[in-house]
Amino acid sequence: MTQELEHQFVSQLEANQNIVHKVCSLYTDNREAHNDLFQEIAIQLWKAYPRFRGDSKFSTWMYRVALNTAITLYRKSKKQPRTQDFDAVLYRVKAEYYDPSQEQQLNLMYSAIRELGDIDKALVFLYLEDRNYSEIAETLGISEVNARVKMNRIKTKLKTILNP
Amino acid sequence: MLDELELLKKDWKRREHDLPRLSFDQIHRMIWKKSSSLVRWIFFISIIEFLAPHLLYLLPSFREGMNYEVADSLGIKALLIGLTAVQYSVTLFYIVQFYKRYQEISVLDSAKALMNRIIRTRKTVMHYIVFCLSMIIVFFGVFIAGIFFADDLVGSLHLHEQANTDPQHLKWVVMGIMGAAGLLFTALMAGVYFLLYGLLTRKLYRNYQELKRMEA
Repeated sequence: MTQELEHQFVSQLEANQNIVHKVCSLYTDNREAHNDLFQEIAIQLWKAYPRFRGDSKFSTWMYRVALNTAITLYRKSKKQPRTQDFDAVLYRVKAEYYDPSQEQQLNLMYSAIRELGDIDKALVFLYLEDRNYSEIAETLGISEVNARVKMNRIKTKLKTILNP
Repeated sequence: MLDELELLKKDWKRREHDLPRLSFDQIHRMIWKKSSSLVRWIFFISIIEFLAPHLLYLLPSFREGMNYEVADSLGIKALLIGLTAVQYSVTLFYIVQFYKRYQEISVLDSAKALMNRIIRTRKTVMHYIVFCLSMIIVFFGVFIAGIFFADDLVGSLHLHEQANTDPQHLKWVVMGIMGAAGLLFTALMAGVYFLLYGLLTRKLYRNYQELKRMEA
């Protein structure tokens, strides 16, 4: 029974591993930390798996566990303080990498996103993953209205990178 | 013109091809590794914190200082036994509370609920520590009071009588030493505890505040 469950779980995680890799790429900045966080998320998913009921999609369920692990449970985060003001980050990132080509502008956006606080990062991530606002709100534990307001603020700022 | 954010979304999807891929076996090996999550840390550290005040009794000097023979001759034995009983029942209460709250922590909650539960669990331990620190002060206080009211301090503490010591003077010196030791010890314990507490929950508190700010 356990072996069957184990096999089923690992297959599902293998098929959906991109979600976890994307979370890891946002929340860590080197290969070793990436693998470390991936492992922790895999452990947390496996521990919670007996409580996964088929009523939601496996992927939907994964977003929540993966983000909770990255934001709250994962201990080895970068030492630098992450409470940077968005405008300050943009200003600095722009000065460092100014190049008008589209590829560069996208890189600029990614750099800006990487330097966001843990919670803002989660919002942007869920947005990029095309999750709807009710799911975003539920994952983070805030109201849908507040999720929208916050996301709109981040979006406006991101746009200004491409249209200075 | 295409919306810039749609551009970013498209690029985000395109970049999926660059992501690493793990095999079934690699993932399978991972799930049986030990977790290094904050919750696990909190569990072990909390257990140590529950035990620490009791481990003090294993130190010979501490046991001697708190020994009932001295307490008896100072006339505070019954009081100390009573306080010890209170201390153990309160400890038991906190351990049960801690266990209940620890069980409620679930990675399936929303981020905010998860953080809230971890903070509540940790707060239980904090209340326990504050209780222990107050008990230490009370214990020292009882001893100081015992010394103050002792008729024959030199005899009670088994000190060798020295002809030139004024008993009254000696009494104040012993009380002063006890008071200073009590405060220093409590401050040290509090310092170690709050340093540990701060290190463990710094990131958690920051993110929790961030979520709460969104709701404001």
